[in-house]
Amino acid sequence: MPRLPTSLLREAYTIDRLLPALLGPCRDLRAARNELRWLREHVNTIAAARPARGGTLAKDALLRDLVRQRASGKPLQYILGTEYFGELEIMCRPGVLIPRQDTAASISHLVCSIRNAQSLPSELRVLDLCTGTGCIPLLFHHEFYSARDDIDLRILGVDVSDTSLNLAAHNLKRMRKDKSWAEKGAIGFMKADVLLNPFADQKGGRLPLKRAFETNKQLQSWDILISNPPYISPSAYWKTTTRSVRGFEPKLALVPPPHSTTADTERGDTFYQPLLHIARDVEAKIVLLEIADLEQALRVARMARELRIFDGIEIWRDQPEQTPDTTPSSTQGGFSILGQGNARSVLCWRGAVASWLGKPTPGISLDDDAHRLLKSHGNFTSSFHTNGLSI
Amino acid sequence: MLATPWVCRNCLLRAAKPAVRRGVRLQSTVATSESIPPALLARARTIAAEHQQLTEKLANGFDTRAAKKAGEYSRIVLALREWHKASESVAELTSLMHDPTTDPELRELASDDLGAIRTQLLNASQSLVTSLVPVHPFAHLPCLVEIRPGAGGSEAAIFAGDLLRMYQAFCNRNGFRSTLLKYENVNGTQEGGIPLSEAILEIDHESAYGFFRGEAGVHRVQRVPVTETKGRTHTSAASVHVLPSLQANSVAESDYDDPDSDYYVDPKEVRLEVMRASGAGGQHVNKTESAVRLTHMPTNTVVSMQDSRSQPKNKEKAWALLRSRIAQLRREKREEEMVAMRRSVVGVAKMGRGDKVRTYNYNQQRVTDHRSGATVHDLDDVMEGGQTLNKIMESVRSWLMEKDVEALIAEEGEAKR
Repeated sequence: MPRLPTSLLREAYTIDRLLPALLGPCRDLRAARNELRWLREHVNTIAAARPARGGTLAKDALLRDLVRQRASGKPLQYILGTEYFGELEIMCRPGVLIPRQDTAASISHLVCSIRNAQSLPSELRVLDLCTGTGCIPLLFHHEFYSARDDIDLRILGVDVSDTSLNLAAHNLKRMRKDKSWAEKGAIGFMKADVLLNPFADQKGGRLPLKRAFETNKQLQSWDILISNPPYISPSAYWKTTTRSVRGFEPKLALVPPPHSTTADTERGDTFYQPLLHIARDVEAKIVLLEIADLEQALRVARMARELRIFDGIEIWRDQPEQTPDTTPSSTQGGFSILGQGNARSVLCWRGAVASWLGKPTPGISLDDDAHRLLKSHGNFTSSFHTNGLSI
Repeated sequence: MLATPWVCRNCLLRAAKPAVRRGVRLQSTVATSESIPPALLARARTIAAEHQQLTEKLANGFDTRAAKKAGEYSRIVLALREWHKASESVAELTSLMHDPTTDPELRELASDDLGAIRTQLLNASQSLVTSLVPVHPFAHLPCLVEIRPGAGGSEAAIFAGDLLRMYQAFCNRNGFRSTLLKYENVNGTQEGGIPLSEAILEIDHESAYGFFRGEAGVHRVQRVPVTETKGRTHTSAASVHVLPSLQANSVAESDYDDPDSDYYVDPKEVRLEVMRASGAGGQHVNKTESAVRLTHMPTNTVVSMQDSRSQPKNKEKAWALLRSRIAQLRREKREEEMVAMRRSVVGVAKMGRGDKVRTYNYNQQRVTDHRSGATVHDLDDVMEGGQTLNKIMESVRSWLMEKDVEALIAEEGEAKR
């Protein structure tokens, strides 16, 4: 990382004494000034709340302390305790991945494209795997019900970490207190391990997803599957992630767990094969998976194509709703790429739901659809074993 | 001695000049030909084709803007259809008459019909031309008539008062609601009966601007003023400004979806840029980057917002700011247009007796409009705002229409080249 020029530090100092410290993690003056302003606002709200509890607060000392924490690289979101995800303010705590704006953009775009569809079923089921703070189910619910309210939305968030599940439940409780929150449908959270082979022996108290559905008396089939799984390969973890991410966010949510045989890139892709198989098992009609970059997007899209159950596969960039103006090509490897920015997610759909998304409906009958699902099961077990994923 | 008798020099000079000069008007040419300039015809045809497309589009789904446009075009399409019908029958009848094999009786009948059809064609072509002329953008608005005395001292001020009374009477007779917004006499008070220094009359009637537009300009009076002691005829002038009254049209600020509103911004014309943390993005980066930049491309207005940590909130604020900035721009532009119009109507230098649009000659009991060339002789009825004034205003309107048609033809010719 290049050294900050002294002139910049001096300029920052003349604006505010606390700014130079923030320049470290922020790298540029504009971002540093924004962060200092938000920190100051945060301190002011705390100070305003404190006398009500019969205490006083040294504002300057608190601000200095927060700036010192931020300068050490601690994410601003952990310091302030919240992060905006779309229109929602989601609580963040150390040990749980901070929601990313790019994820929100993909989710919003998905909800916007399906929520006005005429042919939606009266009950729409959404499964979110690796939910973390529970931000995706909450945003889905919020965006969907802000447009229509005639559909019963059932959303289930699944995570392997207890810290995450506690925070997700807390976030849900907090959202419900908000006046603008539509008290409709249902959101639930459940603990399960997505990577566990349902046919292997259980160890360590973790349940594979299928078993968890049974024990929690949850539904077995879902219309939409969304996931933002850990997708960073070990080498990219050391190369491309920022210090603040490495030092403060849980590695569990960023890098797939190690296992004996796989190489570096394959380890980054660990989650996608099981996720796609789950998508088939729960008969998901729309699958939205977040990915790291275009290479991974193409790998995942190919993986999905090999399953032969999807009628369409698309790659979305950071801002899928924007029409690309400088992007070099809009199709690559046979997959169309939408939007602007870095490649961010892969969308797959099958059957008649193409009309929800406003795509041409493939002429496939229900029987054929069921048949290809079954056929795909044939090579499922084998692929699971060859990948050696029986952790 | 000299055989030639003595002839007055004046008479000689007069004989050398062309005999009739004053009576001929070269300026106003009444375009009452049945042929339509090909450029206009082509324009009418393209509009008809467009109208066809619009109707097809409207059959599939309703769209306010398309419906409005189709409504505007339907007048032209109807006129074109009428014209086609008339010109076809004329062609048919002429061919029938020139055909040597036609029965003589039939030929007689055809020649009888031809006269009637010719007038029909004339009317059709005229209505087609008038329908093609774009309506003045402010023609539907109420208007303000401002009257100020020009050259001629207190006589001009007296005449300005006469004009004001004339317009008031005209409004009363024709059922236009008029209110006197401002009245100031030469003493700076609002007392009546004293020569006028400035008056603003608001005519609160739909399409009043289109009606009174032709009145703008310098009105000249030739008479023996009441202030004159030696009985000489004076020539004085008063200026009349006619401006569209836009206040009634100003819309509420919350009217974002109405395309006519100042606050309306077409989302397609706005480029949204979201600042993102540089690098790989996604899980690799956790920096809070919520800044949003909106660019309104037609006006190149840029608004960026980074106050809040929430990107949607920043976007919302940026949109509000952009809307009000563009509304401000539009208001300023409109005001500029108004100023330009005010200048073009009567320039400060053009307030003299020379650049008159109309003359009121009391000695001859005559009113002449110098643009249309119309002359009427019932001055008293004009000053009382009667039918005669209406006639002369009508002539000015048709003159304006001719000018518009000329401009349209010129424009079409330019476009073709």
